[in-house]
Amino acid sequence: MIRKYAQRIYLALIFILLYAPIVTLIVLSFNKSKTRSKWGGATLKWYSALFQNEQIMNALYTTLLIALVSALIATLIGTAAAIGIQSMKRKMRTVFMGLTNIPMLNAEIVMGISLMLLFIACNMTLGFSTILIAHITFNIPYVILSVMPKLKQTKRATYEAALDLGASPMMAFFKVVFPDILPGVLSGFMLAFTMSLDDFVITHFTKGPGVDTLSTKIYSEVRKGIKPEMYALSTLLFVSVLILLLLINYTPKKTEDQPVPRVITKRSRVFNFVTRRVVPVLLVGVLVFGGFYYGSQGSLNSDNRVIVYNWGEYIDPEVITMFEEETGISVVYEEFETNEIMYPKIQSGAIAYDVVCPSDYMIQRMRENDLLAELNFDNIPNIKYIGDTYLKSSREFDPENKYSVPYCWGTVGILYNKTMVDEPIDSWGVLWDEKYKDNILMQDSVRDAFGVTLKYLGYSLNSTDLDELTAATNLLIEQKPLVQAYVIDQVRDKMIGNEAAIGIIYSGEAIYTQFENENLEYVIPKEGSNIWIDSWVIPKNAEHKENAEAFINFLCRPDIALKNFEYITYSTPNTAAREMIEDEEIRNSKIAFPDESELENCETFKFLGDDADRVYLDFWNKVKSK
Amino acid sequence: MRRRSQLKSKKLLAGPYLFWSVSFVVIPLLMVFYYGLTDESGAFTLDNLAKTTSPENLKALGMALLLSLISTVICLLLAYPLATILAEKNVNQSSFIVLIFILPMWMNFLLRTLAWQTLLEKTGVINNILTFLHLPSLNIINTPYAIVLGMVYNFLPFMVLPIYNVLVKIDPNVIFAARDLGANGFQTFIKVTFPLSLPGVISGITMVFVPALTTFVVSDLLGGGKILLIGNVIEQAFKQGSNWNVGSGLSMVLMIFIIASMAIIAKYDKDGEGTTF
Repeated sequence: MIRKYAQRIYLALIFILLYAPIVTLIVLSFNKSKTRSKWGGATLKWYSALFQNEQIMNALYTTLLIALVSALIATLIGTAAAIGIQSMKRKMRTVFMGLTNIPMLNAEIVMGISLMLLFIACNMTLGFSTILIAHITFNIPYVILSVMPKLKQTKRATYEAALDLGASPMMAFFKVVFPDILPGVLSGFMLAFTMSLDDFVITHFTKGPGVDTLSTKIYSEVRKGIKPEMYALSTLLFVSVLILLLLINYTPKKTEDQPVPRVITKRSRVFNFVTRRVVPVLLVGVLVFGGFYYGSQGSLNSDNRVIVYNWGEYIDPEVITMFEEETGISVVYEEFETNEIMYPKIQSGAIAYDVVCPSDYMIQRMRENDLLAELNFDNIPNIKYIGDTYLKSSREFDPENKYSVPYCWGTVGILYNKTMVDEPIDSWGVLWDEKYKDNILMQDSVRDAFGVTLKYLGYSLNSTDLDELTAATNLLIEQKPLVQAYVIDQVRDKMIGNEAAIGIIYSGEAIYTQFENENLEYVIPKEGSNIWIDSWVIPKNAEHKENAEAFINFLCRPDIALKNFEYITYSTPNTAAREMIEDEEIRNSKIAFPDESELENCETFKFLGDDADRVYLDFWNKVKSK
Repeated sequence: MRRRSQLKSKKLLAGPYLFWSVSFVVIPLLMVFYYGLTDESGAFTLDNLAKTTSPENLKALGMALLLSLISTVICLLLAYPLATILAEKNVNQSSFIVLIFILPMWMNFLLRTLAWQTLLEKTGVINNILTFLHLPSLNIINTPYAIVLGMVYNFLPFMVLPIYNVLVKIDPNVIFAARDLGANGFQTFIKVTFPLSLPGVISGITMVFVPALTTFVVSDLLGGGKILLIGNVIEQAFKQGSNWNVGSGLSMVLMIFIIASMAIIAKYDKDGEGTTF
């Protein structure tokens, strides 16, 4: 009795462990608030928003298509291989099984990297086909390992009997062997499909720009906070799979221990019909329909388009729709998470992006490495709305204002929670205050982390002096025990959720956090900080330069710039747009538009050269691995 | 005669697979070796391998080994009783069991792991419940404990399924025989059940150990960027530092552990009995 209860409790605990996160995600999909750390009431709006979110729907479609095609091909190759292997002599079989074990046991990261190296060596463009090949590769073993046991169970005699009775080998196989191994083939297919669907690591390395599966889309969103639509989608997927599998599982089974002649009840016929016919037809139908739908969107104006490469969550999606409607140019939109991730992609030239939005120091680097095209300002008359001060600051990295048009700007500062910090904060020094142990969120990017520390020490944040850098490194190591986490944009959600007292944040994010949590305050420390500008540039290899200029021009239109500002809350350099802001408090916000005096000690980042970059990275690794 | 030629043609069915494996499994691995043993100009060097022994990388490797070992042990301790219970249940729809463990995979791996953040955070769900019950709060987010939890959570099914698969195949008569011959429950387990289930256990151990050793996602999402595992270092070398040679060198070191696991599998689980699915 006790044993039975203990067993039940144990099962229940494991069940909770497995399903707690899933319940969490389902609950989050009904959360009205955009951040995951606050419950804003129940809503269904994300479910309707989901179907209008073209990026997510595209990622979903790619994911399903890759899962289906890779599982199908893997099932074909894998089943054939299993039959072949089964008929081999022992030695050969061991070799083949060893080969099969490699992808099963190999680390995903090594497999992803090795495939990426191969594709690049073969000059294949990373994209849909490379992901597909990679998925087929890791799917085949699952199929082989599902089919092999079934093959072992089939009796050779029946097959030979069929041959003796005059069946051709083909016929004998399909009439005798195949029905026996079918369950193995099907479960292999399902496994392959599931594995492909759930894969992130291998896709992460073999995907190219322009293609996203749900996993990679989610990963790029992690830093910015997951869009609630994603929770809604996952919930829908999960629930539909649950229903589907329950249907299949409760289909009355034709088991051997049913001695009575099987009566096919009406119910079971319906079940069979649903699971065998309706579901596959629906699946194929959705894929084909989706293919046409999204295919037509892309192909109709394939020539008249512009490929945009921007930071994540850095534009109001409606602005893109408006641009497409007004100009008839279709926008291919891609996101990056950091300047450092963006740069190699532009440099390799694998994809000809038309317009990109890097930060100041990266623009300098791109310009110095001759990656940028000069802008034709005849096509960008709206540049006149951009404030002179911003064009002047731009000269730091673009001396003649020839290559870039400012898009957003801001500062880096301290965001603190007034309920947890009772003293006024005006110095970076608080980041080293023992009082706030485990309550500090530090930036997880080299330049930002060092910039803050160098400023605190009174040095320039563009320092390349080894002594100064060593001092900063030591200070960062000293700080590490006090730090709760190194994060990038997650500062936002964590600060809203009262997770920490102090965080380093970009001014644009600070405004948003104040909307969600009124206890938060932003300050630019007196030692000075980083002032940055993100600007639009056009890479030299752009294929649609005029469209790109039209796009930049469109974004400089005051009403559009205003719309964007209201969505992303990063300070706009568009003075005309600023004057149009209705809310006086925001128009005069010290966070969005700080006074000149506050910016006195602030510097922009400069590109320091590849060697200095490596020095920074080495020092940073020292900090991180301490 | 006919039979033999047939056998031959049957073997040919494995041809496409052989081609595929060589092109997309073997050759890519050789490329990792090539990059790992050359420098940026393509000249032979052992520098990349030597980089593994820098204090930072050794620490990352050591941490990864430690955490993955702990998670493997926890997974085994959790999974064995679980598999036993499930096997005893003798549910005729064994697919239902598999279903319970496969089902979570339909919720994206990253989202599932991220959900643990929401659960574990200082002001997260679990702590809210604990405070409500006037219990001390749980502060493990951004620590190695959270990473271990994430590993156990993500890789537990890979331990349960192989053990379950082996256990259900054990002939109950063998157990009865042991009992009839006077062995008590514990002795039966040690002398009969466990040795018979060893292929599943070994297979489960490698299926958990290797992904745990090499993950960068779990440590990224639950470790707060404070704990670098070897997977993080490799990922950074490829995606951020774009230093492919060093990254490949580190991957080669990882492969030593993977090859060791494969050798163990080949030794203890010859017929692939303990394969997960």
